[in-house]
Amino acid sequence: MTFQKDVGRDCTRAWEAMPWVLRGDASVAQDDWLKMHLAGCAACREEFAQQERLREALALPPDLDVDAEAGLARLLARIDASEAAPPVTRRRASSSWLVRGLMAAVIVQAVGIGVLGVKLRGEAQPPAAYRTLSQDAAPVAAGSLRVVPQATMKVADWNALLHTFHLRVTGGPNDVGAYTLAPLDGQAPVTAQTLQRLRATPGIRFAEPVSGAP
Amino acid sequence: MSNADNEADATDRQLLRRMAEGDRAALSVMYRAYHGRLCRFLARLTRRADVVEEAINDCFWIAWQKASTFQGDSRVSTWIMGIAYRCGLKALRQHGSEPVDEDTLPEDRTPSHDPDDDRIMRDWLGKGLERLSADQRVVVELVYGIGHTLEDVATIMQCPVGTVKARLFHARVKLRNVLPGLAGEHSIRRENAP
Repeated sequence: MTFQKDVGRDCTRAWEAMPWVLRGDASVAQDDWLKMHLAGCAACREEFAQQERLREALALPPDLDVDAEAGLARLLARIDASEAAPPVTRRRASSSWLVRGLMAAVIVQAVGIGVLGVKLRGEAQPPAAYRTLSQDAAPVAAGSLRVVPQATMKVADWNALLHTFHLRVTGGPNDVGAYTLAPLDGQAPVTAQTLQRLRATPGIRFAEPVSGAP
Repeated sequence: MSNADNEADATDRQLLRRMAEGDRAALSVMYRAYHGRLCRFLARLTRRADVVEEAINDCFWIAWQKASTFQGDSRVSTWIMGIAYRCGLKALRQHGSEPVDEDTLPEDRTPSHDPDDDRIMRDWLGKGLERLSADQRVVVELVYGIGHTLEDVATIMQCPVGTVKARLFHARVKLRNVLPGLAGEHSIRRENAP
């Protein structure tokens, strides 16, 4: 099909208008214009006829044997299935990563605890004699003293006293306010003279060797 | 948009609202109303009879789930055809695009006043459509078969109107050059459209 140069623009316009005129969507003016153009243009008449055939062919009902009712039944069954199990399905789907993550964390922890246990056993150290100061059965070091400071004694004075006599607190205070003091590591046991000086120190109400201590 | 189109869209919107509330009766009405055009549209797009129902049901499965999200920016039919288009493309990706074997279709599938006339017309059309790309077939079907505007087609295919125009133009040029007239014309015309 060829178009003469002087009508080429009109043919382009006609070409574009054809689908909408065929569908009945074109304006009356557009419809009238196309009819006028077709009356004088054999090429566009031929094209328009072909467009009509195309539209007619495309408007034929589907030639596929697809049963709407059967398809609808399957769709409803699909919806039923999804609604019957949705919370479970969705929860499973959404929580699956969480569950997997928690399981992985538990496994990592278990492995870590196992490794730690093996390591601790391998070190073969004697168990530390860990105890609290309030334990009744706490062992008393050799040369320990029971000392009861006055309630008004300042902490600074108490510390100065411990420093002066090379003592450290190993227990107490008990129910009557008595502390157990022991010589610092490497220091000689407290002598009777030292004990006398301690008793004479202001703020000390009571100072006696622990019974049974050497 | 004609008055009939407006009325149809108003009905569709009402059905869609009911679907959003879980009304299966509304879904059934909508399904039956759209089944024919979706069947034809998806057959044109995929050219596979065996995936058409699957694509239709995927389309309505999505429409059922997304009914409450319909914004009303387009006609409901445009919205549904857009979903169907994407379902059809998905089916094409999954199953390929083997042509429908017309010979395997039973004769009673053609509800026509004159089956011979329809057969000739279908054969004629089939010869033309098989030369088009999937997107060109879709544009031709949406414009000539279903009657959507270029703007509707652009919405359905999620592309600019200019792209739709170009696809329609090239589809028409191809059809004009490969399709003989029904009156026995077999000449192949040159590709020099306006």
